Amino acid sequence: MIENRPWLTAVRHLVLILGIIVIGLPIWIALVASTNTSASFVSGVMPMWFGEEGLNNFRRVLTNEGRVLGVGVSASWMMWNSFIMAMVIAIGKITISILSAFAIVYFRFPFRRTCFWMIFITLMLPVEVRILPTYEVVASLGMLNSYAGLTIPLIASATATFLFRQFFLSIPDSLAEAARIDGAGPMKFFKDILLPLSVNNIAALFVILFIYGWNQYLWPLLITTDENYYTIVMVIKRLMTAGEGNVPWNIIMTTTVLAMLPPVVVVLVMQKFFVRGLVEQEK
Amino acid sequence: MATVSLRNIKKTYSNGFKAIHNLNLEIEDGEMIVLVGPSGCGKSTSLRMVAGLEATSEGDLYIGDKRVNDLEPSERDIAMVFQNYALYPHMSVARNMGYGLKNQGLPRDEIRRKVEKAARVLEIEHLLDNKPKQLSGGQRQRVAMGRAIVRNPKVFLFDEPLSNLDAKLRVQMRIEIKRLQQEFATTAIYVTHDQVEAMTLADRLVVMNGGKVEQVGPPLDLYEKPETQFVAGFLGSPGMNFMPARIQGQALLVQGDHRIDLPDMAELAQWDGRDITFGVRPEHLEACSEAEADFHLKVDIIEPLGADTLLYGHLPGSDSLMIAEQPGKRRYTRGDVVPLRVDRERLHLFDAETEQRLNE
Ligand SMILES: Nc1ncnc2c1ncn2[C@@H]1O[C@H](COP(=O)(O)OP(=O)(O)OP(=O)(O)O)[C@@H](O)[C@H]1O
Ligand SMILES: [Mg+2]
Repeated sequence: MIENRPWLTAVRHLVLILGIIVIGLPIWIALVASTNTSASFVSGVMPMWFGEEGLNNFRRVLTNEGRVLGVGVSASWMMWNSFIMAMVIAIGKITISILSAFAIVYFRFPFRRTCFWMIFITLMLPVEVRILPTYEVVASLGMLNSYAGLTIPLIASATATFLFRQFFLSIPDSLAEAARIDGAGPMKFFKDILLPLSVNNIAALFVILFIYGWNQYLWPLLITTDENYYTIVMVIKRLMTAGEGNVPWNIIMTTTVLAMLPPVVVVLVMQKFFVRGLVEQEK
Repeated sequence: MATVSLRNIKKTYSNGFKAIHNLNLEIEDGEMIVLVGPSGCGKSTSLRMVAGLEATSEGDLYIGDKRVNDLEPSERDIAMVFQNYALYPHMSVARNMGYGLKNQGLPRDEIRRKVEKAARVLEIEHLLDNKPKQLSGGQRQRVAMGRAIVRNPKVFLFDEPLSNLDAKLRVQMRIEIKRLQQEFATTAIYVTHDQVEAMTLADRLVVMNGGKVEQVGPPLDLYEKPETQFVAGFLGSPGMNFMPARIQGQALLVQGDHRIDLPDMAELAQWDGRDITFGVRPEHLEACSEAEADFHLKVDIIEPLGADTLLYGHLPGSDSLMIAEQPGKRRYTRGDVVPLRVDRERLHLFDAETEQRLNE
């Protein structure tokens, strides 16, 4: 729809600018707050311009100087934990999803449809819904306070299977047949042909799943009591409640900015693939 | 180089559909066989069984003197060209062509050499580093051919390889395929529903219908002496004219009242009074004088094609369509009544019930 009416253009811009303000303001506040001293907040008014304390704040948070975070580990360590969690979840989910989609689309085995629907049903059961039984299982397997406990229950749903299945179904059968004539067995076909063709899809999914894993809050909160396994997202909430009456906004916002960085980097780096994976299908 | 034999081949799909009833075909070494027939008659199914992409339900399949029923496609020493080319989109042309050889474990420089040689034959050397996406339809077609040639297979299999090309390119590639097949003297099975392609490419033509073979033979034999009404109607464009008729003594009564005296045939006496279907190709209806006329065609539509003119019309008092092909130099107008004479040497008589050919 391309219309050329001046007032419509004005309205369009107004809406866009409003949108940018709504989304941009909190980020602006976070950035500004992370550069001020805690004294700037005492008056109860958020400063709207950058202070001088930026580098200092980041150093203190990253090294947990003087226990500013109120826990025994530094922000860099917690970011490492978050990174491991996000990576393992993203890679794990993609791996089992692509393999199960491969099985479902290219092999004829008994109860194939049943398998597909069972996987599909996991879409309706995210962690939040099955949190108690999942906790039970993880606890009795002795996986509390471990990376395995942090990641495996979140991997164990092949949400992306559906996406890969649709993609594989859109690949003409004759491609698999040509590969068969060319002497490629099933795994060779997967490795030489399906996998390279799926690169864009994998990249798009990786971005989504990395952010999903990075932003996990409830699950890590529930199963970690050992500070060594805390994630960066968890500690932000703890900071809010920790300081008695005197909330350390500069420290909270510094941590928040740090927590935002890796997802932003992942999106920026993978942007090209990401967009291609969502909109374009290789012919 | 090899012969291919299909012996009592049957195919029933898993949903119970009988796609091939009983297929027997002996293909000679270096021969080009074309399977032709209407959509859904089982051409692709037959070809895919030879390729090994589809299992045979019954019967024996031999390539050379080896029974191949239970061999994987890659072990059968065949190469196939698909309708949509089925090139691997992420591989360069060279890698597309060499993928089969690579899987056979050939050393890289030997693959490179073979690919380059095949590319030279097909005149696609300059495209070797391109991706399929960057090629035109005709070029993709050549790459698909190249992928088949590099393997130096015993049998080429083609499943409607030209149907995605425009008319001009199709003619060009058709000639190219014929040239390559003759040059390599490789046995080939070619599936198409385009009868011009079928007639021009085939050493022998196999006309199929409803999962059965109707007739096998050199294209012109099938054109001149179709064994069944189906083959007669399928080959030739425009199609043969069919009319219900009855044999009466030495003559044929077409549509009740058009009398055509028949040439001498030994069997005529025993056919007396029999209901048949009379067939004549449009080009075997000649404009003639009133006195000689077998039919009077009332012209409804005229299609001047240059060399020939097609007259579409009907016989007075009947509404069934009749087509006559006349030399292009004479002009006709709509509504003309043209006296036509049937070429007595080229008429076809089919049993009205069994649709089998009656006359020699
Ligand atoms: N996998 C299948 N399962 C069941 N029936 C099938 C299957 N594949 C093909 N058929 C049926 O078998 C018949 C022959 O199919 P085939 O593909 O051989 O036709 P074709 O002669 O190649 O036709 P076309 O000219 O349209 O390609 C068709 O009626 C088709 O519906
Ligand atoms: Mg077909």
